[in-house]
Amino acid sequence: MNDEHEDRGLAVTRRHFLARGTGLSIGAMGLAQLLAREGHAAGDAVGLPGLPHFAPRAKRVIFLTQSGGPSQLELFDAKPDLVKWAGQELPESVRQGQRLTMMTANQKQLVMPAKVTFTRCPRSGATVGQWLPHLARVADKCCFIKSMHTDQINHAPAMTQFLTGNQIPGRPTMGAWVSYGLGSENRDLPDFLVMVSKMQRPSDQPLYDHYWGAGFLPSRYQGVKLRNARDTVLDLGDPAGLPRELRRGMLDGLAELNGLRHAATGDPEIETRIRQYEMAYRMQASVPDLVDLADETEETFALYGPDSRRPGSYAANCILARRLAERGVRFIQLFHPDWDHHSRLASWCTARCRDTDQPTAALLIDLDRRGLLDDTLVIWGGEFGRGVAGQGNWQTAEAGRDHHPRCFTMWLAGGGVKPGMTYGATDDFSYNVTENRVHVRDLHATVLHLLGIDHERLTHRFAGLDFRLTGVEPARVVAEILA
Amino acid sequence: MRIPILFHVAVAIAVNALGMGAITAEPVRFSRDVLPILSENCFACHGPDEGHREADLRLDTREGALAVISLDAPAESELIARIVATDPDVQMPPPSSHKKPLSQEQVDVLTRWIAEGAAWGTHWAFERPVKIPPPAGHPHPIDAFIGARLAAEDLAFAPRAPPHTLARRLAFDLVGLPPSREQAESLTRDSSEASYERLVDDLLASPHFGERMAMWWLDAARYADTDGFQGDADRTNWPWRDWVVEAFNADMPFDRFTVEQCAGDLLPDATPQQRLATCFHRSHMTNGEGGRDPEESRIDYVIDRTNTLGTLWLGLTVGCCQCHSHKYDPVTHHDYYQLNAFFDSIDETGAAGRGATPYLAVTSPHVARAVAEARRLVDARTPAVDAARRQAEGRFEAWLADQTAAVVKAGGFTAWRPLEPSGVESTEGTLFAVETDGMIQTHGPTPPQDDYLVTAPASRPRVTGLKLEVFTHESHAHGLFSRGDSGQFTLTDVKLRVTKRGSSQVREIPFARAVADHSDDPKKHDNYGSIGGVLDDDPRNGWGVRDAAAASSHTAVLALREPLVLEADEELVFELRQRSTRGDANIGRFRVSVTDQAGPAVASVEPAPLEQLAAALAAGTTDPPLVVRPLRDRLREQFLADDEPYQIAKRVADRASRQLAEAKAAVNVDVMVLAERPQPRTTHVLLRGVWDAKGDAVTPGTPAVLGSFSKMLPSGPATRLDLANWLVGPTNPLTARVIVNHVWQLFFGAGLVRTVEDFGLQGERPTHPDLLDWLAVDFVEHGWDVKRLCRLIVTSRAYRQASDVSPERLARDPDNRLLARGARHRLPSWMLRDQALAVAGLLNPALGGPPVKPWQPAGVWEEMFMGRFTYEPSEGPAQHRRTLYAFWRRAIAPTFLFDSAQRRSCEVRLPRTNTPLQALTLLNDAIYLEAARALAERDRVPVAMFRGVLFREPAASERLVLDREAARAREYYARYPADAAALLDATDPGDLFPVPAAAADQAERATATLVASLILNLDEALTHE
Repeated sequence: MNDEHEDRGLAVTRRHFLARGTGLSIGAMGLAQLLAREGHAAGDAVGLPGLPHFAPRAKRVIFLTQSGGPSQLELFDAKPDLVKWAGQELPESVRQGQRLTMMTANQKQLVMPAKVTFTRCPRSGATVGQWLPHLARVADKCCFIKSMHTDQINHAPAMTQFLTGNQIPGRPTMGAWVSYGLGSENRDLPDFLVMVSKMQRPSDQPLYDHYWGAGFLPSRYQGVKLRNARDTVLDLGDPAGLPRELRRGMLDGLAELNGLRHAATGDPEIETRIRQYEMAYRMQASVPDLVDLADETEETFALYGPDSRRPGSYAANCILARRLAERGVRFIQLFHPDWDHHSRLASWCTARCRDTDQPTAALLIDLDRRGLLDDTLVIWGGEFGRGVAGQGNWQTAEAGRDHHPRCFTMWLAGGGVKPGMTYGATDDFSYNVTENRVHVRDLHATVLHLLGIDHERLTHRFAGLDFRLTGVEPARVVAEILA
Repeated sequence: MRIPILFHVAVAIAVNALGMGAITAEPVRFSRDVLPILSENCFACHGPDEGHREADLRLDTREGALAVISLDAPAESELIARIVATDPDVQMPPPSSHKKPLSQEQVDVLTRWIAEGAAWGTHWAFERPVKIPPPAGHPHPIDAFIGARLAAEDLAFAPRAPPHTLARRLAFDLVGLPPSREQAESLTRDSSEASYERLVDDLLASPHFGERMAMWWLDAARYADTDGFQGDADRTNWPWRDWVVEAFNADMPFDRFTVEQCAGDLLPDATPQQRLATCFHRSHMTNGEGGRDPEESRIDYVIDRTNTLGTLWLGLTVGCCQCHSHKYDPVTHHDYYQLNAFFDSIDETGAAGRGATPYLAVTSPHVARAVAEARRLVDARTPAVDAARRQAEGRFEAWLADQTAAVVKAGGFTAWRPLEPSGVESTEGTLFAVETDGMIQTHGPTPPQDDYLVTAPASRPRVTGLKLEVFTHESHAHGLFSRGDSGQFTLTDVKLRVTKRGSSQVREIPFARAVADHSDDPKKHDNYGSIGGVLDDDPRNGWGVRDAAAASSHTAVLALREPLVLEADEELVFELRQRSTRGDANIGRFRVSVTDQAGPAVASVEPAPLEQLAAALAAGTTDPPLVVRPLRDRLREQFLADDEPYQIAKRVADRASRQLAEAKAAVNVDVMVLAERPQPRTTHVLLRGVWDAKGDAVTPGTPAVLGSFSKMLPSGPATRLDLANWLVGPTNPLTARVIVNHVWQLFFGAGLVRTVEDFGLQGERPTHPDLLDWLAVDFVEHGWDVKRLCRLIVTSRAYRQASDVSPERLARDPDNRLLARGARHRLPSWMLRDQALAVAGLLNPALGGPPVKPWQPAGVWEEMFMGRFTYEPSEGPAQHRRTLYAFWRRAIAPTFLFDSAQRRSCEVRLPRTNTPLQALTLLNDAIYLEAARALAERDRVPVAMFRGVLFREPAASERLVLDREAARAREYYARYPADAAALLDATDPGDLFPVPAAAADQAERATATLVASLILNLDEALTHE
């Protein structure tokens, strides 16, 4: 909304300050300088000195977080020989005392073969289940990691570990670390933006705001969640009867009075406050411009599928993710809930596949044709996988699968990752990793590496300790998947 | 910009430049000079944690360190040789640790320490505090210590802050509110010591003192009104919150305050109040996640209690020891589970929600006021509904006459009109033939599941509901409703959207409810059957009619949440999803109709009231002027459903009634408290902290490093009461120091130990260690008297300094560690709201009672929980209660707060950030807009409003800006009166103010509102100066 008011408002401000010449207070000078940089395209917030540590392969991240634990057995990790084991008890040699949730702890672990057939991609050999037909067509852009594993078996701790490296809430999330380390490329929007799909049915797993929290980092690095309601940012809109030009004048008056206060007290925090009120004013224009999809073509909506016209849907959020990438936002995170399919896997999981398949594939195609995929890292995955045993009677449509932390599949695309690759493997039951294990913290190390960050050197001191995303256990960059 | 400063500070601490005095020729002191170097650089690999110890070398004991120390040849000690080495294979700390090599200064300290005999000691915080006499020079002991330090640094106290600043500072610090105008004026008029102390005593005696202190305590206690986690069910522990307020107001000694909260239930002849106090240790989150083992949850709660106790009373990060011995502090894995053992035998199951026993039944004395307040609101609003209903009666009669005439003229009435589809599509391949009268017949493929999309222009300009009819047909299996095997259908979900030609966006139209002429019992059909299931986007339930008596059709009616008015170029898209697990149950033949009739017409499958009227007229059973009951009542119901004046009055009154019902429900509540189970559990060390990986059994005990521990009863294991007595007992070196530091932080914005949560080896050292110890001992000597401690602090000269700072002073001490100036920092967001209410004259100062719901942007809870929880802001006086009483849902804290505690785990030091989102809240949130409006109504004139917020006269330069902005706004609103009216409406969410009739008055009020908002957003208004 680069409307007249705004331009005029800024011009007035600049003139106003320049006219007052050297009598300016320091705060007002700070503001004048800030506004004098208005023409510059470069980002406003700088990252830590010395970062990136080396040349980055990706400038930004789009993290398509699938909450609840999507079933790798139906989506990616094809085990056609499982039909031979159908209904038989899972051998103890495979299970090795794996802990179960209370939902299946008292039930025999009977093998349930995948409910789907798989497409094998001709070039890469990747296997994609039939519920994801759109993704199958672009799978050659992706690098599938079939050997992911985590330590947690329940949702909240597993998701917290997946995003912060530790199961206990309170640590910064990946997006906060990246924003803290690298700063922003866009001075009109925050560096770390979060979108959650709007669902009609209450999800069994709420998405806590610590999933995009800054932990002990300064809270300006926390993810800003765009809402699905009328106001995408709370209190973004000025009240009725307060037009932009009047707001501009009021903020000028506020800045001038705060500048006087700065001169009187010498507190540098006042300068920051003046800047943040200006950022708020800019966001009032940039955020509506971001979320208004009126300038998208019909072809785009066709590409992302019919759901993309529905604000708040995963598909609409995928379009927004591309728009944010175009605007240089550093870390863009989508959450799609309700992948926790303990029962009725076939109908329930297909519903979530329907929500996400076409838009996800469209996002990869769209980023690619706009030249953004080269420096945008796209990540797809959830907090854990699902077990090979059926939950409930495996032979019926009632059956689902319980949580499984020992192996699950994720994929990465773009941003310096080898396309058309499958990394790691699991045993015949998709139960244990058999080669090239990738722990959640290895993924973290790899993502940071692609952004030009040495995960051992991005640290923050809190309560007397130097914390990092990858924690104290050894973590490795999965060099084999780097392009 | 802030980051380099932080880094600078970190470095400064490391080399002790600003810390405890430069390292000079005086003898090296182990705990002050040496231990921090060893801890920071060596303990990670050579410290107390045996699990990660390298080379079998430990440097946390003298015996261990002597292995690498040569007392005879200090500089040749292996310790020094390794530190100064440059060969990466030899150098310590090793380059792989990413720690910086030690500075020359640090090497010198270590060398001199060895030369002086390598005397050992313990970390300062583990030594008992000693009260040394304050240095000479200032009568007030606090000033004596701080002044001596300033003198050593060649600095002096800043001048006293002006009276209006002191009045604000004092009031915010002691009661969390701005001073009253009288209080501020009185101090400005008479700024003598006596006058100041009078204000201090007034504030300490105010019941708001307890509220202010309670906010500190509630953040630390992770208090909330819900469980947290997945269920996030409501709980009713708020009587405990009131207990805390009352304890602070009654100046309960802090040792008793501690004992009652940790073990009130174990005191001899425990009173209900003492048992209520123990809710502190039940205020953790509770997890009712479906697949979770309750025992795992229970262990989590025990761990949470131990960690909270460690952080809040001991200032130690004992939580580190859940998985392994502490890497820095002498607390072992074993010690940790000994602490855990005190909390392991609570008579609890790990359950959440209403099963979180043990409970205490409480009848709160504060509920009567809440009920009375709510009842007054109901009484005030009820007459308006009755009046609106009476007033509507005339309109109803006229409407009925019109409708009757129209029915007579048309010779009948049709409520429902079939859609005439412009297209019918499926996602999986089913084909359609559209027949006359909107009938749609499927043919072609029979996929197991399919979604049908019916696109049609609306056959009515206004739509209140949809009717779906399904029909049998000879082409269907068994001649029933579907071409699938059984002939039966299962409709899992429906969706309604509106598309606009040429626009890329769609509108999602929500349904309010669904009814059908028959619904199967879901229990008999794998959860399928109920018509309600079609509205929840869940394919695991939906509508079926298998058990219905034979019929050629079935009908469902779907009511919209709001009437839908379509524009000319808009079309409806109605989606029927058939995604059941059993499959082969797609509808074979159907028709979709719409109606514009409100109320009863879309609430049942019965004929609409006007259809009944038409039938009655046709049958001659009624004469037009004499429509009788019950038809007349149904018609009135329909009329009222569309009558806006009546609906508005009813909504407002219904809201008040719900509020009254909530208040009444709070009369008797259950509060989660502690109680021991008859048979204690055996506590085990948990290997790697995993809940079911049990190691050695342990008995209750406290870490050896924290002083001896004695039991009240010589026989049997130690109890929580023993633990509580030890916490505040004479051998424990930490509690008094830690609590005094907390209280100090409340007044100075930072503790004497900045890491309020960590007094251990990795925490910061005190800026004024002798002062901290003096205060701690003095606190205990004077009966743990919190009010006395507060009074002591605020009567010091150090506290009363001006907070202005010159660039030179700022550069020298950016964090104000030396206290050569007053504390200047942004007020916590809860105080900002309370301030806005107070200066605007809105504040309802009532104490205690069930939580209230301040304004919050619509839809926040609904979005978070997909509609499971609805946030209805409180109305009437309940809206303007202090923030302490705001309902706290753990999964989503009140949105108008920022930098607040999360209330998920114990927090004792809150962030203080400065973000654009905060600016948006303070500018545009309904709370602050309403306050601006109220302030404008109260004072109107810019200068008066300025005075009302800041308690001083604006300077000429400030007045110029205020007047200029007022003039700008006045000119605008005079020109655009509609905007003035709109702003007045937008800033009055609670309808507190009458609408001014004259345009000039509107413009003036709108102008004053805008200026008031500006003033409330001034940095000075947001800041503790």
